This record gives sequence, structure tokens and C-alpha cells, in this order.
Amino acid sequence: MSAKKLTLLAMFATLSLAIYAAESAIPPLVPLPGIKLGLANVVTLLLLRHWSWRDAAIVLSARIALSSLLFGQALSLLYSLAGGFLSLLVMALVMKLLDKKLVFITGATGGLAHNMAQLLTALAVTSTPGVLAYLPFLILSGVLTGIFTGLCAEAAGRYLIGRLPR
Amino acid sequence: MHTDRTRKRAAAILAFLFLICLCSLLFLLPQKETGAYIADIYQNGNLLMSIPLEDVQESRIFTVEGPDGGMNQIEVRSGCIRILSADCPDKLCVKQGFIRDSRLPITCLPHRLVIQLRPAQDSSSELAEPDIITY
Repeated sequence: MSAKKLTLLAMFATLSLAIYAAESAIPPLVPLPGIKLGLANVVTLLLLRHWSWRDAAIVLSARIALSSLLFGQALSLLYSLAGGFLSLLVMALVMKLLDKKLVFITGATGGLAHNMAQLLTALAVTSTPGVLAYLPFLILSGVLTGIFTGLCAEAAGRYLIGRLPR
Repeated sequence: MHTDRTRKRAAAILAFLFLICLCSLLFLLPQKETGAYIADIYQNGNLLMSIPLEDVQESRIFTVEGPDGGMNQIEVRSGCIRILSADCPDKLCVKQGFIRDSRLPITCLPHRLVIQLRPAQDSSSELAEPDIITY
């Protein structure tokens, strides 16, 4: 990996950490665990769309490690890893299926996968089947916020990626 | 622009997403399920206590402490229950306020505490309240 590439990936990791931190500072609109915009996913989507899934995985790992270290509560590493990597897997697959077009669809599937993984983690952690009552909320919010982050990634890609040195 | 194959795949994925969103919406429509509820309080998946909410006469506040020091203050009133305060970081459980039906439990993920309402069984309420008492 060239020094230039490494620097750019580090910059993207910082960017996604900053977005994550800014989003954590906004009080949640819906008082339910697990429902948020997930704007840090814009960076993952950007890298998947314009670079490669490896780059996206590297930046995601760095972001999760740093955010758990800096803002983490007990077990937040577990939730982040489950949600982050399942959604990365699903998004890489869907992105490939759609020839990198229609990024908002990829975003929607990623948001959905992220929320499903976190719900399953919550189910395992609390061992209370009652948390499955959140399933419809998490499906809706995952798809809707995923469409939004997908559109953001599409817009950001248009302005950002072409101007970066490769 | 889009190839035919890509378009078909996109349509299939969109149809799938639309369908599960529709199912979720249908599920969230308010159900006319009025009546008495029993609040079950779970910690780490273990049932700590069950409170028949209709039997609560006046508001009562008690504290549930977790094994690793977490604290949730729970308030019950007639027919509803909430987490009044907690020392968890996000306080989502507190912000959710009172719940009155079984649609959505209150969950405090950091303390692994779940409060879930279930409809009181008709048979048990009959047992608790006899129709008539004769001497």
C-alpha cells in the first residue's frame, strides 16, 4: 500500500469518526435504542462505490476501534462490529449485483442489515425475546435511513472522489 | 444507462424492501387491544417481578439494581409503567416514557433491563375478582 493510499484511508477513517461523533452529539429524535441516521455509513458507501470493499473494511475497522475506545459504553464494540460488518458484507454484495449503480438501494439494504445484526446482538445480550418487538421499527428505520445515507453518498461521491489524488 | 439485468435486480431488491416495510407498517398499526396488562420486568433475561398494572392504586416508585452496579428507578401507576431515572449513558429508556400496551417494551440495553407488558389473562382476573360473594 502506497503512503498516499494509506494517508487517504486514514483521512477517511478520521472523517467517518468525526461524522460519528457529531451524530452522537445530536439528541436522538426517536427514544428507542438503535434508531439513528447512521451517517458514518456514508464513508463506507463512498469507498465501496468508488474504491474497493477492502478499503471500506479497513476504514470501517479503524472507525469502530476508535469510536469504541473514545465513546464506547460496555458492549458497544460488539454492537458496532456486528452491525458494521454485516452491513458491509450485504452492501458489497448488492453493490456488485447492481453494477455500482443506484447507490441508495445499496444503502437501504445496508441500513437494514445493520439494524438486523444489532437486534440479534441485543437479543443475545439481553436473552429476552421481548426485544424482537422492535423488529418492525428497526426494519423501517434501517431502510429509510439507509436510503438517505445512500443518497448522501451519491452526492458526496460526485464532488469528492474525483478531486482526490490516486 | 442501466443494463437490463441490473434493472431487473434493482427492481427485485426494491420489491423486497418495499414488502418488508409494508409488513412492518401493518404490524405497527394500533391494535384495539384494550384491557388489563401485567408488566414483566426482566434483567439479563430473568423475570424479576410481574406487576398487574390495573391493581396499582397509587403511583409507586422502586429501584432495580443490576449485578454490575447499574440502577433503574421504575415508576408504576394505574395502567402504565415507566423508567423514571437511570444511570445509563443514553437514557433512552427514560425518554420512552410511560408504556400502556404490549406493542413496544421499554429496554435499557446498557443494563440489560426489559419491561414488557402482556395482556392479563381473563381467567386469572376472574380468579382474582369473584363475580359475587355470598355469606
